[in-house]
Amino acid sequence: MNKLLILLVLGFVFAHAGAQNRYFTKDAKIIFNSSTPLEDIIAESNQATTLIDIDKNEVAFSVLTTSFKFRRALMEEHFNENYMESSKFPKAKFTGKIISPIDWKSEKPILVDVKGILTMHGVSNEIVLKAQITPGKSKILASAEFMVTPEAFHISIPSAVRDKIAKEVTIKINAVYAPYQQ
Amino acid sequence: MQFTHLINNNTLNMSQRKTVQWLLWIFLIGLITAFSAIYYAFNMPRRNLAKENSAYLLSAKQLISDFRNDETIATRKYLDQAITVSGEIESIRNLDNHSMVFSLEDAMEGVSCTVDSADVVTYSSKLVHFKVGSQGTFKGRCSGMLMDIQVINCVPFQ
Repeated sequence: MNKLLILLVLGFVFAHAGAQNRYFTKDAKIIFNSSTPLEDIIAESNQATTLIDIDKNEVAFSVLTTSFKFRRALMEEHFNENYMESSKFPKAKFTGKIISPIDWKSEKPILVDVKGILTMHGVSNEIVLKAQITPGKSKILASAEFMVTPEAFHISIPSAVRDKIAKEVTIKINAVYAPYQQ
Repeated sequence: MQFTHLINNNTLNMSQRKTVQWLLWIFLIGLITAFSAIYYAFNMPRRNLAKENSAYLLSAKQLISDFRNDETIATRKYLDQAITVSGEIESIRNLDNHSMVFSLEDAMEGVSCTVDSADVVTYSSKLVHFKVGSQGTFKGRCSGMLMDIQVINCVPFQ
């Protein structure tokens, strides 16, 4: 019951789904890149939790913002304290649905559209992103890349450093899902 | 250049020259201090959990219980704090970036202690003794809860 409650937090309703129809990983990689010619700003987290329900074509991601690692400690400090306000908003989440047709038995890579709600810094926005999914019985591979603007999530960048941070931040996701065992 | 010009200028008397020289030194020291401060801030070292005192020393079961009881309060209490946590190792995972994750008390909903790739090398002689079913103690930085409670930048203890 406790597990079910936690999964509901990630945006899933499992009432009618069987365990073999859900795939899961706690080690998904998320990279964000807001580099400009003046500064390389790349951060990586290998600890995103994500689920796919292949019956409902639903997908959910959740990551702790303090798990992102930067090249410089100062960037990490600014990211958590000034921009993401990680103590107030410790998680970033995405819950969405694959809106393109997908054959989960094909085992061939397919490009799909995923529509959902991305929540970070306490602000939710609807986004549509392209993802490549390679279905499989024992594992599912998924990757996606999309852009967000800090302003859309009420993240204000001081004018002194505005030129060092890209106006659009690129977010890349890579996940290898295994069947979820309850 | 202008300061040098003023010092060498014969129109200044001895006392004025000394004042200008002092001002020049103060300016230079200020400049070096400011530059050093900016350089340090820009290249400030990462937190070294091995050298930090733990704010909390507790069992994995206690940490799990605190987060399950009230995630908001527990997050406020433990987030970004150095904690030392002990429990039974339920699973060990090797990540693509060569870091290792040790799950305490429950593989899915327990406490996940991540040892960074550099520390996997540094503490390899200790980590070989950490096996599924054995007791493990880690000091790290609590980054909050998803399904599991995540403790990152961990240093292992026997």
